[in-house]
Amino acid sequence: MSPGGRYALRSIGSGLGTLLFVVVFNFFLFRMLPGDPIGLYTRGRNVPPEQIAKLRAELDKPILEQFLTYISNPFSTTINSARFNQPVWSLIWDRVGATLLLVGTAIVLASLIGTWIGIRAAWKRGQRFDRMSTAVTLTLYAMPEFWLGMILLITFAVGVGFIPGMFPIGGIISPGVEAASVEGVLNIAWHMVLPVTTLMLVYLAEYALVMRASLIDEMGQDYLTVARAKGLMDKQVRRRHAVPNAILPTITLIFLNLGFVVSGAITVETVFSWPGLGLLSYDALRGPDIALLQAIFLLFSIGVIVANIIADLLYAVLDPRVRA
Amino acid sequence: MNPFTGIVSTAYEMYQIMYPTLTDYAADDFSAVPALAESWEESPDKTTWTFKIRSGVKWSDGTPLTAKDAAYSFTRVIEGDYEQTNYGGYVANITKAEAPDDTTLVLTVSKPTPIMLHLAVYILPEHIWSKIDGKEVRSYTNEPEGGEPIVGAGPYVLVERKKGQFIRFKANPDYYGGKPAVDELTFRIYTNADAVAQALQKGEIDFADEMQANVFNAIQGKEGITTLNAAYYGFNEIGFNYGAALADGTEIGDGHPALKDRRVRQALNHGIDREALVRTVLAGYGTPGSTIIPPLYTDLHLEPASPFGYDPVRAGELLDEAGYPLGEDGKRLDKDGTPLTFRLLGRQESQSSKQTVQFVKGWYEDLGLTIDVKIVSEDTLIELNGEGRFDMFEWGWVVEPDPDYQLSTFTCAQRSSKEDGTIYAGLSDSHFCNEEYDALYAQQATETDVAKRREIVKQMQQIVYDEAPYAITFYYDLLQAYRSDRFTGFVNQPSADVAGRGGPLLFQFGTWSYEAIQPAGAEATDGGGGTGGGGTGDSGTNVALIGGLAALVAGIGVLVALLVRRGRSSDEDVE
Repeated sequence: MSPGGRYALRSIGSGLGTLLFVVVFNFFLFRMLPGDPIGLYTRGRNVPPEQIAKLRAELDKPILEQFLTYISNPFSTTINSARFNQPVWSLIWDRVGATLLLVGTAIVLASLIGTWIGIRAAWKRGQRFDRMSTAVTLTLYAMPEFWLGMILLITFAVGVGFIPGMFPIGGIISPGVEAASVEGVLNIAWHMVLPVTTLMLVYLAEYALVMRASLIDEMGQDYLTVARAKGLMDKQVRRRHAVPNAILPTITLIFLNLGFVVSGAITVETVFSWPGLGLLSYDALRGPDIALLQAIFLLFSIGVIVANIIADLLYAVLDPRVRA
Repeated sequence: MNPFTGIVSTAYEMYQIMYPTLTDYAADDFSAVPALAESWEESPDKTTWTFKIRSGVKWSDGTPLTAKDAAYSFTRVIEGDYEQTNYGGYVANITKAEAPDDTTLVLTVSKPTPIMLHLAVYILPEHIWSKIDGKEVRSYTNEPEGGEPIVGAGPYVLVERKKGQFIRFKANPDYYGGKPAVDELTFRIYTNADAVAQALQKGEIDFADEMQANVFNAIQGKEGITTLNAAYYGFNEIGFNYGAALADGTEIGDGHPALKDRRVRQALNHGIDREALVRTVLAGYGTPGSTIIPPLYTDLHLEPASPFGYDPVRAGELLDEAGYPLGEDGKRLDKDGTPLTFRLLGRQESQSSKQTVQFVKGWYEDLGLTIDVKIVSEDTLIELNGEGRFDMFEWGWVVEPDPDYQLSTFTCAQRSSKEDGTIYAGLSDSHFCNEEYDALYAQQATETDVAKRREIVKQMQQIVYDEAPYAITFYYDLLQAYRSDRFTGFVNQPSADVAGRGGPLLFQFGTWSYEAIQPAGAEATDGGGGTGGGGTGDSGTNVALIGGLAALVAGIGVLVALLVRRGRSSDEDVE
């Protein structure tokens, strides 16, 4: 087998190992949380005590039995949430699309724009664009997501002074609009503008700063002087020589963030009442709704692990030293 | 929107919009008034109740709604297993439900039962629900699929549900009370309290519920918006560990023994400046608390003859009497000579809880007590309450118009229970237990004479007040606001005439406002909302769809904040 193939197998293998560990660890972790879900869910309602006892008995199976049921298939569609009485994976399925749409769009835009800003700022280091972009990105980098979100919401959804409040205040689609139509798609896009911008600005700042720093490191290298001496144009030196070498840390960062694509947007989701996994995770913690929590965290973990494997593999393609 | 699975209060609001009940709570004073049943009669031997069901009522799919549907709905709960969860409490004494003809429903009870005129059991269409068996009902969603509305018989029918986003209803032309004037009703979910107020100002929604005080203040006096701090049925309390025990009397936990002394609990009641709490924690939106049935239930509430006013001197005397004198350093001493120290638990989820415990700590320290405040999650608090591992805590209840449930939370039987070595909390978080109170509880549970029952309920409040397992801090207001430039005709429950101050306009016991509201004038045709591109105007599109009549959109506040402890309608986010 080629060294590259071995390397890929090793990455995937270790990813699977981590996943197995997470599956087992989650099971025990959430059972350490305090709480009595049935007590909480039936409180304030006129539930006969016998019924409460019955519902509790259903949840309180012996721990070994619970573990075997869970481990035999953590993705089983028959595992129900204690609180919502719905299969946990169908609850998650209803929400995951909204989160992926929001965070996915934000990360793609942020990586493109952020890297571009970083490259330009580094190449023209010390000039006006660099000074301005560094100041802006540093400010954005230090800004809490929810605060930035609120400011954007007040400015562009409510309207301040001469700025009209043209974007919706929350949600993903207007009531009564069919999602699978041209109008629906435009409607969703319009709802996405503010939350995506918020997330994008925060991510973008990080990418731009890291890209700038690593490109500046490369710029003093001898091989760039050689490239110039060969008579290459400035643009070619940058594109063909400097950037490919400097982009690795940014790629790492992008994929690290991509791993959190399903879990990372909870605060922004709250500000914009975005119907993603954020609210569901919060609800699951009340009780706690162990089956739902397990499933959500399993999904979060899978996100991180898969993104890491992809990053590993991509590294091998981008950087021949890794393959060796 | 399956009425057998709802946990949160907003879910119950949806059920009562979709399905009728036999009787309603009157809008002005909560008395029993006809709903699906036109009249009723209790047999002289108090063993059967005969309800005369309206004739000519139809389900929204055209099928006639008869007494058979009512009998089916009750029987389903009585004989059901999972169906008992939400409605078992109402049918505990009902042994049989029969429909001898299309307009007569006969319910047989095992003993006299006062709650028979307030049965919050929704009447469901038998031709739909009989296809859903006892197992399937647990995860049945009862949501529209393929554009077909859910068959109901309330003022509105459910046409669309998007989880975590909105729930949309259309007026039911066949409603027995007449078709409502507003064509469409959408409940939107916001997860951000400021957004609710902003959406209201902007016109994306027309009604905002459960607003926060600062947001509420900010929109006051804005043109076109009417705000209301409604008298509400919730109270908060500082609860004391009365002597934690299992229901059978086995002592548990590590509550401070001083709290078993009534004088100490009374001193702690005198030690709280309730006016100050209302002023600060509630920003003035509430009234100081006294007994466990809130004052807006004018018939049932007991206003104590000698209230525990804020009186540190009297509190000091009571503590001296109980044998906890002031030491030289100004700290009161426990029986063993160490400083008298209590643990006070506040709730992580609630800003007002965190503030209240800080104020209370200050006042109690003025009395010479040493207070350890700890903020815990509500899940943890239930566990600590159940196991009796606390001295004092801050929490609250929402009280429904029938007092039975609230009164039950102070019975000995509601103390903790133990199964397989695990202790589970009952409803009694103070572990109060009093023989006389329990006897009165049993008595009111079989007293069908409204006036006599009322007297018993007042006696029970007096006992709890004197024994002081709680120091009720305040009755808080419900802060609501609506676009009065677009809708008029909201009805308070209870009315200001009856209660002195009007109650909530929506999220009531009954659908009074939904049936009464009207679009305000012709200018209401411009949905107000969407200025955005791509046809995104939030209510603008609705207006276009329904031809000139604006749609009512109720924003449901921060839904996450109030999971536990609501009256019949137990709480928050609708899932």
